[in-house]
Amino acid sequence: MERAEARPAETGDEAFRRAAVACLDGLYGFALALARDRRVAEDLVQETYARAFAAARRPQPGENLRGWLFTILGNTWKNERKRRRPEPVADVESLARSRLEDPEAALDRRELRERLRTALAELPDAFREVVVLRCVEGFSYQEVASIVGCPAGTVMSRLARARALLRHSLGAIRARRPGRVEA
Amino acid sequence: MSPCDSLRRLVSPYLDGELLGEDRADFEAHVQSCAACRASLEQERAVVRAVQASLPLYQAPAALRERVAELARRPADAQAPPAGGRRYGRVRLGGVALAAAALLALAFGGALLQRGPRAASPSRPAGAFASLAVDTHLRHARGQLPLEVRSELPAEVSGFFDGRVPFHLTLPAYPVGPGERKPYRLVGGRLVAFQDDYAAYVAYQMEERPISLLVTSSERVRPEGGEAVVQGGLTFHIESVSGLKVITWTDKGLTYALASDLAVTGSRSCMVCHGSAEERRKFEGL
Repeated sequence: MERAEARPAETGDEAFRRAAVACLDGLYGFALALARDRRVAEDLVQETYARAFAAARRPQPGENLRGWLFTILGNTWKNERKRRRPEPVADVESLARSRLEDPEAALDRRELRERLRTALAELPDAFREVVVLRCVEGFSYQEVASIVGCPAGTVMSRLARARALLRHSLGAIRARRPGRVEA
Repeated sequence: MSPCDSLRRLVSPYLDGELLGEDRADFEAHVQSCAACRASLEQERAVVRAVQASLPLYQAPAALRERVAELARRPADAQAPPAGGRRYGRVRLGGVALAAAALLALAFGGALLQRGPRAASPSRPAGAFASLAVDTHLRHARGQLPLEVRSELPAEVSGFFDGRVPFHLTLPAYPVGPGERKPYRLVGGRLVAFQDDYAAYVAYQMEERPISLLVTSSERVRPEGGEAVVQGGLTFHIESVSGLKVITWTDKGLTYALASDLAVTGSRSCMVCHGSAEERRKFEGL
């Protein structure tokens, strides 16, 4: 009977590291949403992993490893921004063009993705952050609130506003590029 | 403020599955009778769908993947970023302190979340894994849980899980006989956080109804509760949780939970992995 089979058991540390590395794409997307620059986003992700692997206290079984990693990344960015003068110039192009290596994806999906990246890049920072955490990463409002460091009610209102802006923006992009696929 | 003004602020939490119980029912009742609110709901739903249809949005570049893999191989006391990294200088708060702060921040929000706040309370206590299967199933059915891999090909979905979960998941293809139509469709999969690791979530459709399979290698999970049925040397626990049928069992170090709505009989949902006539007989009683 062909079916799932267990591999040799891992140590707790190996399991922790593997589970952490599995969050890489999501962390990179969040880092891009915050930094809007591919190179800075890469460094931010790398710094996050260095901190996570060096941490004396890790999430215990039953605690939220993914949320923990996203919180470290968010805090690292906040500290970095305080230190950094002046504010980085928004690299909208970089955010919009950071495409998947996915040559076989259907054309409409690629175009939708491209439009959405552009629309996300145009959102105010605080809105982009919650959209990525909720809509892309699937965190609950309470988790987003923990990661971002704001009340859950603020997450709710920012999301509603962000989606209204996205709708407007996706519509505007569609208007600028007639003949493209519908959302 | 009109009732519409206050209800319209609930569109986002409604679509995100954060509106529960009576609030959810009240909202749905209002939307049924109010065309303006219905239009708001549909507009926002279109945006949510557009985002979901475009996932995954970002993929880490190969060079970063290699750098992170290298970090993962180093011992904990040698975690300086590797050469070539860190273009924004030193960060003031020590990494360890920051990681601890993150843990504290999540202890408050995170602890509440482990039980899956979006799932309605089960009528009797279900195992944590069965509850997670139900929560995941409901979120996916409502369109609130984006899949990380979408494919009807078992090999593609299996391949996605390789290296992401500590076990190898082989999803068998259904043997279609002459003149027979495959009774279900593989939709895709994603990782779901469970305890301190990931479980593999696989989504199927059978006659337009979703069926969810969740697999974990955690040794701390023990299928329990519900009605225990012994079939083919395995003990299946069948229970009803939040209006869904959940079957949990352990086999060869892995624990499985299969969730479907009550209209799908348990034995039919087993077909997603055991399609041959011979194998189907094994679980006829479920």
